[in-house]
Amino acid sequence: MSAVAAKPQAGGAINPGAMAVGIVLLIILLGIAYVVSPGIGLMALIGVIIGGVLIGFGVHFVPVGGAPAAMGQAPGIATGVAMLAAGAGLAGLFGGAWAAEQGLEMAVVTGAIGGGMMMAITCMMVNFVYVFGMGIPAASGKVAKDPITGDTQAEYKSQGTEGHGLPFVSFVGGVIGGILGGAGGTLIYIELLELYKTTLPGVMKVTSAQAEPIAVSVAGIFAIALFLVNAVLTAYNITGTIEGPHDPKFKRWPRAIVASAVASALCGLVAILIVVM
Amino acid sequence: MSVKVEVIEGGVPHSKILIAGFVGTLVCLYLTYLNVLTTHTGMFAFFGGLAAVIALIWGSHTIKVLCSYGIGTGVPSAGMIAFGSGTIAFLFATKFGDAAPIVAVVLAAVVGFILGWVSNNVLNMRIPAMVQALTEMAVVGALTLMGFAALMTGGFTFTGLTSVSVGTTMGTNTFLGGCLIAVAFLLGAIAIQHPFNACLGPGWKQDRMLMLTAECGFLSMIVAAIMSYALVDHVSATISLIVALVGWVYTYKEYIVLSRRDAAAWLDSKPIPEVEGH
Amino acid sequence: MVDIVFGIGITALTGALATIAGAAEDTESNIGSQGDPNSQVQLAPQMGFMHRIFNKAVAGEPPAYGLWCALGAGLAWAFMAMYPNPVLAIVLGSVLAVIVQGVYATTAYLGRTASLAKFGQPVYVDILKSMTTVTMAHAFIAIFGTVALCQLINGALEHPFPLPLLGLIWGVTLGAAGSATGNPYYGKERQYQNQKFGAGVPISASGNIVRYAEAGERNSLDNGWFTAKIGGAASGLCFGLIVFLELWRTILFEKSFDGWGAVIVGILVILIFTIIDRYIEVWARKNYGPYSEIKEASS
Repeated sequence: MSAVAAKPQAGGAINPGAMAVGIVLLIILLGIAYVVSPGIGLMALIGVIIGGVLIGFGVHFVPVGGAPAAMGQAPGIATGVAMLAAGAGLAGLFGGAWAAEQGLEMAVVTGAIGGGMMMAITCMMVNFVYVFGMGIPAASGKVAKDPITGDTQAEYKSQGTEGHGLPFVSFVGGVIGGILGGAGGTLIYIELLELYKTTLPGVMKVTSAQAEPIAVSVAGIFAIALFLVNAVLTAYNITGTIEGPHDPKFKRWPRAIVASAVASALCGLVAILIVVM
Repeated sequence: MSVKVEVIEGGVPHSKILIAGFVGTLVCLYLTYLNVLTTHTGMFAFFGGLAAVIALIWGSHTIKVLCSYGIGTGVPSAGMIAFGSGTIAFLFATKFGDAAPIVAVVLAAVVGFILGWVSNNVLNMRIPAMVQALTEMAVVGALTLMGFAALMTGGFTFTGLTSVSVGTTMGTNTFLGGCLIAVAFLLGAIAIQHPFNACLGPGWKQDRMLMLTAECGFLSMIVAAIMSYALVDHVSATISLIVALVGWVYTYKEYIVLSRRDAAAWLDSKPIPEVEGH
Repeated sequence: MVDIVFGIGITALTGALATIAGAAEDTESNIGSQGDPNSQVQLAPQMGFMHRIFNKAVAGEPPAYGLWCALGAGLAWAFMAMYPNPVLAIVLGSVLAVIVQGVYATTAYLGRTASLAKFGQPVYVDILKSMTTVTMAHAFIAIFGTVALCQLINGALEHPFPLPLLGLIWGVTLGAAGSATGNPYYGKERQYQNQKFGAGVPISASGNIVRYAEAGERNSLDNGWFTAKIGGAASGLCFGLIVFLELWRTILFEKSFDGWGAVIVGILVILIFTIIDRYIEVWARKNYGPYSEIKEASS
């Protein structure tokens, strides 16, 4: 999408010093949560961090080719990685929020399936358009054989391109990405919703029925904000495009886990301080 | 180590825009406080919209500085992370009553700084402007949301955003209860990235881009003012709407003049020009 | 819990609205060259290929549609808070959101084209006048459909999220589905009609987009006319399926299997789509065959 030509030189290397500092930072943030609210606040923060890490990890699976994919020059889905993941994750959040009354596990699983369904339908339609609309079979540019089906890829790659469409491994990656994103987004929402439902009536000095719409809205917008922060950070990690779990860039995931954990802990702590301070 | 694609030639340096934007936004935000001082009207709510416009102008230039490095993803994602981190700081700051804008600035700066550090070191992006840009953008995001909140409700405190001054007594009909913050979030997130996204290219000009930002800001202010009819009294909302309309018409006209100045040609129903060699 | 028959009726209605919205969204974005194919419209003048294609890069489609739909929903919410008339409120909200979309479209075209002055690409005022109105018309259908389905979900199916938040969620999803499905069809099949059918565009051909029509010079209305036939329909199907199946599994199976019915049905749906996808992939490999017999090392 960006017309700026030069790509950053960021390599796949992991910076161990910075990773260690990140983990220390994470522990400090958890410590602050423990000091201000050892019970409900800390539990909510842990939930938020797990949710954020699920989102960050999940985005790595989503096969996104960016602008070249729209010309059949590169495999993947032709849109931005952060926003496609957001589309899937928010569709999951929608389902998860609906099932919120039925308990945490149920809501998170429902959210995960919602995100997975969105990606399954979208990825199927992408291949549908490639095959029946444009007459182009799917081919990966990064691997010689599809790791799941064992199909050879190189000879199905048309001349002068890096591949096109979604090979089966990318499809599976997309669904896994949607599932993780939907679960992560829903987990953040549910944890914050429970926290706000319990504490907001006391903070605002109103009845719980009056506070409920506020709790739903604030938890919802926090879940979306955290989702976008984590998705964009992960998009930075993979420099915008990835083919799926078989892409060499996928090996950068440990960095994104630490980054997502720190970012979620930070934002989650602020979200919790609103009601417990 | 990365290559800077375009340098900013001429124009106002970024540090000046930063300081002007920061001071202007805070002053405008506190001018909405006149609502509380002068017999509890909402007439000064439009200053919130102006605060948002000023903050957006500053933020769009920050995006230009950051995206000149080619961050690997599209320009829109920068707006998303700015407002994602800004929302969190904004909501927390509303709890602090009169000090809310200051708290928002400090907290957003901390959040943005840590996110920038994480991107540069943990994610190994190594972009020199990253830390400063993400810090600035988080502050811009928080202040823009606060501006829109002040425009729509007349104030920027948590109680103000969760209770209604006029109309029905339902708890849902509030800025937060009705989740108008979601609209303010996207109005700002698109307005902050659109100017650079729309003006990028070899012929990028600073004054044209900043004029476009002002235009986007006033356009967002128009629709925000229309939404404010549900939350503040009709006189105040009308004042905001008129201010926004006047600002928008002026900036839109100026932007077209500037585009006309910079365009290669300004044609109406003419064929593609013949170029040698094709 | 709403009555099942009532719920199924609403589900069908939302599915239909979503299908129309998806088709309109993709056609709108193709007329405006929004999303990823935009990069080629932007690149062409730099390669010496002047064109008369509308180039409105507001943002990626998902955030842009997130804004239009959230804005339409927010305005509709505000109108409903004052006068409880949902139909009028949704129409008025969508109209105002479309005006914002139209203004953004014009500024994007002017900005992008003015920045290409170095390569001699002129600004065509007639494009601005004729294309913007057509994209606004399509955008209205997309926004109205999405806001209306959000209102149905919120009002009739009792989803806890308020209308603007639902507008944001389904707007982003609409943009994601529409750009994922529709972009390749416009980007490859229409922009590069001069390239071989049944193969990706070679990277060396980038920027050489088709600029002439059957008669005269191609404009973006021709692109909308072309892509509406497959890309638009496929995008509509994609978004319609997403909305319909998501609601359908919840409404119908939420109570069965001790509450896990919706989850089980969701997993089954994912498996069914996985099988369909695999079938399409194998079908293409069998019927189209490989491009070359020589096995080259993958890059």
